[in-house]
Amino acid sequence: MLLSFERLGWWKWVLVAITGLVTAFLLLPILFIAALSFGSSQWLIFPPPSWTLKWYREFFADPRWLESAWTSLQIAALVTLFSVGIGLCASFALVRGKFRGRETLKAFFLTPMILPVVVLAVALYAFFLRLGLNGTVTGFVLAHLVVALPFSVLAITNALEGFDKSIEDAAVLCGASPLEAKFRVTLPAIGHGLFSAAIFSFLTSWDEVVLAIFMASPTLQTLPVRIWTTLRQDLTPVIASASTLLVLLTILLMLLVALVRKGFKS
Amino acid sequence: MRKTTFLAALTAAVSLAGVAHAEDMVFTSWGGTTQDAQKAAWADKFTAETGTNVLMDGPTDYGKLKAMVEASGVTWDAVDVEGDYAVQAGKQGLLEPLDFTVIDKSKLDPRFVTDHSVGSFYYSFVIGCNADAVSACPKAWADLFDTANFPGKRTFYKWSAPGVIEAALLADGVAPDKLYPLDLDRAFKKLDTIKGDIIWWSGGAQSQQLLASAEAPFGSFWNGRLTALAADGLTIETSWDNNITAADSLVVPKGAKNKDAAMKFIALATSAQAQADMAAATGYAPTNLDSPALMDPEVAKTLPDQQKASQVNADMNYWAEHRDEIGTRWYAWQAQ
Amino acid sequence: MTQASNTAMLAPPPRRRGWLPAGLGPATPALVLLTLFFVVPVVSLLLRSVLEPSPGLGNYAELLGSSTYLRVFLNTFLVSGLVTTVSLLIGFPVAWTLAIMPGRWARIVFAILLLSMWTNLLARTYAWMVLLQRTGIVNKTLINLGLIDQPLTLVNNLVGVTIGMVYIMLPFVILPLYGVIRRIDPSILQAAALCGATKGQALRRILLPLAAPGMAAGGLMVFVMSLGYFVTPALLGGTNNMMLAELIAQFVQSLVNWGMGSAAAFVLLVATLALYAVQLRLFGTSQMGGR
Repeated sequence: MLLSFERLGWWKWVLVAITGLVTAFLLLPILFIAALSFGSSQWLIFPPPSWTLKWYREFFADPRWLESAWTSLQIAALVTLFSVGIGLCASFALVRGKFRGRETLKAFFLTPMILPVVVLAVALYAFFLRLGLNGTVTGFVLAHLVVALPFSVLAITNALEGFDKSIEDAAVLCGASPLEAKFRVTLPAIGHGLFSAAIFSFLTSWDEVVLAIFMASPTLQTLPVRIWTTLRQDLTPVIASASTLLVLLTILLMLLVALVRKGFKS
Repeated sequence: MRKTTFLAALTAAVSLAGVAHAEDMVFTSWGGTTQDAQKAAWADKFTAETGTNVLMDGPTDYGKLKAMVEASGVTWDAVDVEGDYAVQAGKQGLLEPLDFTVIDKSKLDPRFVTDHSVGSFYYSFVIGCNADAVSACPKAWADLFDTANFPGKRTFYKWSAPGVIEAALLADGVAPDKLYPLDLDRAFKKLDTIKGDIIWWSGGAQSQQLLASAEAPFGSFWNGRLTALAADGLTIETSWDNNITAADSLVVPKGAKNKDAAMKFIALATSAQAQADMAAATGYAPTNLDSPALMDPEVAKTLPDQQKASQVNADMNYWAEHRDEIGTRWYAWQAQ
Repeated sequence: MTQASNTAMLAPPPRRRGWLPAGLGPATPALVLLTLFFVVPVVSLLLRSVLEPSPGLGNYAELLGSSTYLRVFLNTFLVSGLVTTVSLLIGFPVAWTLAIMPGRWARIVFAILLLSMWTNLLARTYAWMVLLQRTGIVNKTLINLGLIDQPLTLVNNLVGVTIGMVYIMLPFVILPLYGVIRRIDPSILQAAALCGATKGQALRRILLPLAAPGMAAGGLMVFVMSLGYFVTPALLGGTNNMMLAELIAQFVQSLVNWGMGSAAAFVLLVATLALYAVQLRLFGTSQMGGR
């Protein structure tokens, strides 16, 4: 009854209303940013005195925006890959392992989340200077991986705990190798957890600014660092136009995925 | 474009510690249009004259600076820092002494020259007001502390730095020449009277947004930020009464790999023409005494060096000496 | 690293192998990574808290002896608790609706959720700063609608921090909860209905307990993340609800006093891990998502 939309009665409308309000709450800043990107006021006065495309022109006139976005994308993609891979393994150990102190180990895996990033940034920077890793992609990815991994571990253990291991065992009984059973039965079943882990890891790296300031070099600048300094110094709506372009790109990608899916079905 | 960045990233990944080549140097500043102006007025000219490529890094971060000096892995050669930090870092041994046989300090404003630093640009804290939003604009620091006659929110610089404490003491009736040593108890007591009416600005751009939107219709601002707002068509009133000067400084971290190039770069950056170009682009004042003569008189008269009649110089040496003590107390007071 | 993670992923199911405790093997890559690039550097930095400016516990005495710093500590946990509670209260009904609403609508809400996450964090925070100002759209709209006469103070205080942080944290609650609710077998609830349970009873006795692991995972993630957060509170909060991470950032980056900065970070770490241990003791592992 509670899990069937039709049989919820008036509760249905309460839930729909809450979800509608939250969706509006989520949309408000995005729409606001999109509106500002066409406004003529550099000081974000709203409604703007007039409308303009000049912030988009400025964005494309300065190649450093696209370059830093591309750097961010590469780093975030690498971080996502490693974070989900390593997190998946760690989660198997945490959920399926039979050793004592599993909860302690889990707490240990989560500590990078608690420590304010600036402390990790100074510590890692000094450490990387000795290893010669500062200002390198490797150093950047390692630093972001440390803060992204806890999200993977949390999301995947959560999914794995909800998965009934007897299904995997059944597959083995039916003749699958244990590995095959993991890949063909368990992984698809915890797909949602893997997806969450990937998104959280990607965003942790993509939006991270404090570690990035320390790991950056003249040839390795990420988008958040550019946005951070530009917002502090200039507050220019170029950032609004950059964000709007990214949102548009995301919508296009989503539509593309939806179209491809439809194509497969029909 | 994608290919070049990827190659650049690869090169960075392959080269171990070093980022800059022997013929390159790295200049670090705060980013945004200020650093763009520094690149155009200083770095590009330096490259044209000497062939040394100047790589831009940033933002300046004192934690990062300290870490690289301690680990002897300095990747920055010339850095733009706040004036009081420059004096303090010099005393802590984090900076190279400047080579004044290369840098000609005879033409530089002596207020901003120390053994380890020279002025990068300077500015004044002035009283700004959005005249469209209020009936009367505050004219003196005392007015900003007078909530009866000037009701509403006012905005001040958030970080512990020269400016706000001086303003509070001036408002409380301390004579400009009797400010130092700062009477902190008196200053915080005065600040307490308007604490609930203060909106803090943490970056120059935010101060402009607050004033333009009339979220805080008046407050204490960097002068150049007000010039920019007025140029954008807003009705901004500026009071230079007892304007408080502070400066950014150029320094060379201890153990910088391209020390000699950095000295030459600083020599060019503080030359009369380079300082004049930078001032024209940003609205900050030049630290070279010969620069104003090279500038458009219309622009020159909006700069703090024309406002010496009623000007207070924040004492960088005092601040450097007491930076930690004041800072600790400042943030504790804010958090109360 | 790739090699290690691959071999671990291909490793046979948990089995006792010499000195390694049963089933710990797959955790090796994560352990190596965190030991090398987290424990070693961070411990060497935290050591400074007892070495600088002079050896001893001076920094800790100063930190714990000051009512201001204690306030900042308390405030950090209060704000994090508030943000977690609000996120869960809002996130649960949304995740529930998403799990059962018609697919097309659910996909649209999901798309918006992902869009909000994809927009740069700093841009979103600045947007809220301007939206929530006294002269901002939210206040203007409320005044035009006649709901209020005077603009509300929505930013530079606790309200601003909460709105800004809940906005960022919501996906971290909704996504795991959605996964958990999707997996609940509807027939359990049908059985409850057959036995005469009302909706309220079914919610309290069946749906909420079954969703608890997701709530715990999401809540833990949000709470812990909030503790170390700094950009959003710094921009949307007032100085009198400063959080610890901002104080630490000031010690590290502005005052360059690493002794005090590391001392504060260490106290935060210990307090949080202690809290985690207490939660484990009180609720056992089942509350944390174990079975």
